[in-house]
Amino acid sequence: MKAFEYATALSTDSARQLVADHGAYLAGGNDLLGLLKEYLVSANILVNIKSLPGLNQIESGSKNWTIGALVTVGQIEGHAEIKKTFPGLHEAASEVASQQIRNVATVGGNLSQHSRCWYYRHRDTVCLKKGGDLCYARNGENRYHSLFTGNDCISPVVSNLATAFTALDATAIVLRDGKETRMGLAELYQKAWENPTAHNSLNPGDLILKIEIPTARRRSAYLQASDKHAFDWALVNCAAAANVVDGKLSQPRVALGCISPVPHQVQAANDFLDGKILDDATASQAADLILKGAQPHEHNGYKVPLAHALIRRTLLKLKG
Amino acid sequence: MPSWPTNTKYISQSTPRVDAAAKLTGRARYSSDIQADGWLYGMILRSKWPAAKISGINLDKALQVPGIKAAITVRDGERTVHFYGEELAAVAGTTRQACLDALRAIEVKAQPLPFVVREDDAKKDNAPKVWEGAANASPGKSREQGTLDQAFTECAAVIEGFYTTPVQIHNPMETHGNTVSWTDDGVTAWSSTQGISSVRDGLAGALKLDHSQVRVITDFMGGGFGAKFGAGAEGVLAARLSREAKAPVRLMLTRFDQALAVGNRPSSFQKIKIGALADGTLHAFEMDNYGTAGIGAGGDSGGGGGGADIPAPYIYKVPNIRVKQTHVAVNAGSARAFRAPGNPPASYGMESAMDDLAVKLGMDPLELRLKNDPNEIRQREYKTGAEKFGWKQKYQKPGSSPGIVKTGIGCAGAAWPAGGASKSTQGEAQINPDGSIEFRLGVQDIGTGTKTVIAVVAAEMLGLKTEQITVKVGDTNFPPGPGSGGSTTCASISPTVFDICTKALQQLQTQAGIADARGENWFAACKKLGVSPLVVHGQWQPGLSADHACGVQFAEVTVDTETGLVTVKKVVAVHDCGLIVDKLTTESQVNGGIIMGLGYALYEERVMDDLSGVVLNPNFETYKLPGLADVPEIEIVLINMPERGVIGIGEPATVATAGAIANAVANAIGVRVSSLPITPAKVLAALGKVPPSTASKS
Repeated sequence: MKAFEYATALSTDSARQLVADHGAYLAGGNDLLGLLKEYLVSANILVNIKSLPGLNQIESGSKNWTIGALVTVGQIEGHAEIKKTFPGLHEAASEVASQQIRNVATVGGNLSQHSRCWYYRHRDTVCLKKGGDLCYARNGENRYHSLFTGNDCISPVVSNLATAFTALDATAIVLRDGKETRMGLAELYQKAWENPTAHNSLNPGDLILKIEIPTARRRSAYLQASDKHAFDWALVNCAAAANVVDGKLSQPRVALGCISPVPHQVQAANDFLDGKILDDATASQAADLILKGAQPHEHNGYKVPLAHALIRRTLLKLKG
Repeated sequence: MPSWPTNTKYISQSTPRVDAAAKLTGRARYSSDIQADGWLYGMILRSKWPAAKISGINLDKALQVPGIKAAITVRDGERTVHFYGEELAAVAGTTRQACLDALRAIEVKAQPLPFVVREDDAKKDNAPKVWEGAANASPGKSREQGTLDQAFTECAAVIEGFYTTPVQIHNPMETHGNTVSWTDDGVTAWSSTQGISSVRDGLAGALKLDHSQVRVITDFMGGGFGAKFGAGAEGVLAARLSREAKAPVRLMLTRFDQALAVGNRPSSFQKIKIGALADGTLHAFEMDNYGTAGIGAGGDSGGGGGGADIPAPYIYKVPNIRVKQTHVAVNAGSARAFRAPGNPPASYGMESAMDDLAVKLGMDPLELRLKNDPNEIRQREYKTGAEKFGWKQKYQKPGSSPGIVKTGIGCAGAAWPAGGASKSTQGEAQINPDGSIEFRLGVQDIGTGTKTVIAVVAAEMLGLKTEQITVKVGDTNFPPGPGSGGSTTCASISPTVFDICTKALQQLQTQAGIADARGENWFAACKKLGVSPLVVHGQWQPGLSADHACGVQFAEVTVDTETGLVTVKKVVAVHDCGLIVDKLTTESQVNGGIIMGLGYALYEERVMDDLSGVVLNPNFETYKLPGLADVPEIEIVLINMPERGVIGIGEPATVATAGAIANAVANAIGVRVSSLPITPAKVLAALGKVPPSTASKS
């Protein structure tokens, strides 16, 4: 990697000032250090934000919980109250990488990680996402790629937490231009839908401070399917959240990861599910709606039946 | 003829590794741990082109990077590179970062050439030539016996299948590499190698030194599966850097390097047609197989060829046969020997065809094997294993398992023709007047338990405890031992240690006048040596070892027919390796073989990109290996056959696993996934659930 300066920030204002135009925030470092070592990003200064006050807290509330951006994925996994209140989030966290990585990986880092596309990550290919002319995956090895995209790049978002937060209708509080800006999860990734070089909607210098999760949905669930049984990326993941009153769904939300550059959600499916009694047929119809318009490539068509199964299973898990 | 003792205290019992504590506490120093005085990091610049004419390499800017002490090219003048990752230049410096910076500062003038990385593409007439002036596909070797075309008409059942296996990458726990120190006195190399002698000879040859000027040391070694015999490009470069920099150079490869240029298991594309008579007797077999060994076949291989041919019809005898095999060159790293070369793909293809044939015949696939397997030991192993596994109780017709998550079982057989001895193996023991004894053999313990085997045999023969035996291996200054390939090490060293011990007891009898110096007489006998230790030389002796091991494995899996996930629940492995020397390390070999076979069955695959020519998965993120959560319950049944003498087990243990798992998957879901690795994507495709591609290409 290229040489860089290093500083520890004690306030968000100073962190922002230190990062300036060409710096990067450093928390767990899992993604950042890999990107620096492979020369995929460069930074003239790394600003350690682990000492920023208040960002490593999990705070419960009657209407909302807030989870600081510095909270580790392992802390979410190990938090008994989260497991009870947001089981979908707990399950998503517990499937992230390995225990060692979860121990240091932060919520902010998990959400803002770059694409894992093997063309993007390869040191000797210059693909569309890296500013080249061509999405190699479109004609090439696309088994891990998207079924949906709004641009020519078909690399998907792979953050487990993003899928869970989307289903829970969470909001990211982002420090932007000196102000706290609220962004829904859809908004947090919207730019990746449109722009092949974007991984999310964050601008240089933007810093995720915390995630706010409404407690409005009492039930949630998450499932992922992988090639292996542990320590493997999801091929597809799915989260769902809702209330179940007298067997009927209310405020249902379903989201999927690894099939689109953004957490994939379909309002028509959420609307369809609202007020329905959960059963196989209903879940299957919802899955049809969610996957309508999927565009499989040469090697990722399997994600369609896989996603369909996960949607059904995740929804049925909401029955408890 | 000598014979192994019966009524043993150590042999065929379970002795923990003698170096377990050193390994667990980190005291064991592997080649990658060596920090010779003043050592430098070494790194290799590799071609980023799959094919190119290289007209110039300028090292000037690399040499200006602070901390860089040497920079060299692999060879002078113009050259052509033939695969992504081929070695171009190397640097040595005081820090990793200095080396990385230096590699980026090297200027390479290259004119990219057309290339081809896929077997099917390479076979086409208009494909770019991997080697100028030679066709990519070899003319092919054919073998014929009987009257095949007529024989097929005589069969009651005939099936055809196309079974394919991927290129598997060598990924031992410790990567390839060395620390090399070149001084006026000669070269010392601390090597992660399976053959200290072959590395010595290879380095001496490449560096134009006498063999006596090169010493190779391998105290502890983190695994090797057929690709760590020679000095390798990385070993020679480390030595040249050391001479240039006048300092020791440690050049260990990275996982990225491993994926490109240290050898691999060739792919196979097996078109098989097989037929049987109504009673299940195999009657006709035809195979057309091609595969790639990359740019070549097994240079720097040792321990069994690295070519793309596979044995067929594997362990079976069929009267009417036609077999054709072709090598296809592609612009990718070369093959090298890989644990039981040729056998795992052969077993997977043939055993899959056997099960498909059993379905057509309406026969239990185990019965079909018992009907046709000509080997008596395997017959016995199938029966023993079937009993342990509960085959009869568990067997269901293919696809008849109810529900979404289906259960299936399968079995497959293994053979390994080698496993015998290297007859030139020698060793010595120094017996001190205080009764301490040190064995010195120029063999290497690559993690298999070689040191433990030496201690076990010595303790048994001398009536001592294994803790009383000091074992030194991994040094070319010791009497020469075998390369650890072909599963030959155990059968080479065990008779050698037997011979050393026999001679030691004879000499103690002569010199000390004690008729039987074993056990409780040991210290008294040694004391009578006075002030001079006794050094006894021994060598391999006939009658104590053999070759040809067999094995059969049974697998039980579940397959989620909605997610395609295969879970291996249980493997029962029945293996023989003649006289079992140490049961614990033997079982460990079988465990490791099964886990490696599981990776081959379900996860591992080198993925090449045909547009850029690069290896897309040069890391453990996407080159997937089994983790603990993927490993099933493993039950090992060892058939001890002391009368045969010692036979190696390393290779046969990995052969049958993929075939057994693949057959269990087919039994579960009722359709064949005829391509390894069996991924969720392929399972869902085999079940007919995958929609066609509709997206636009760019």
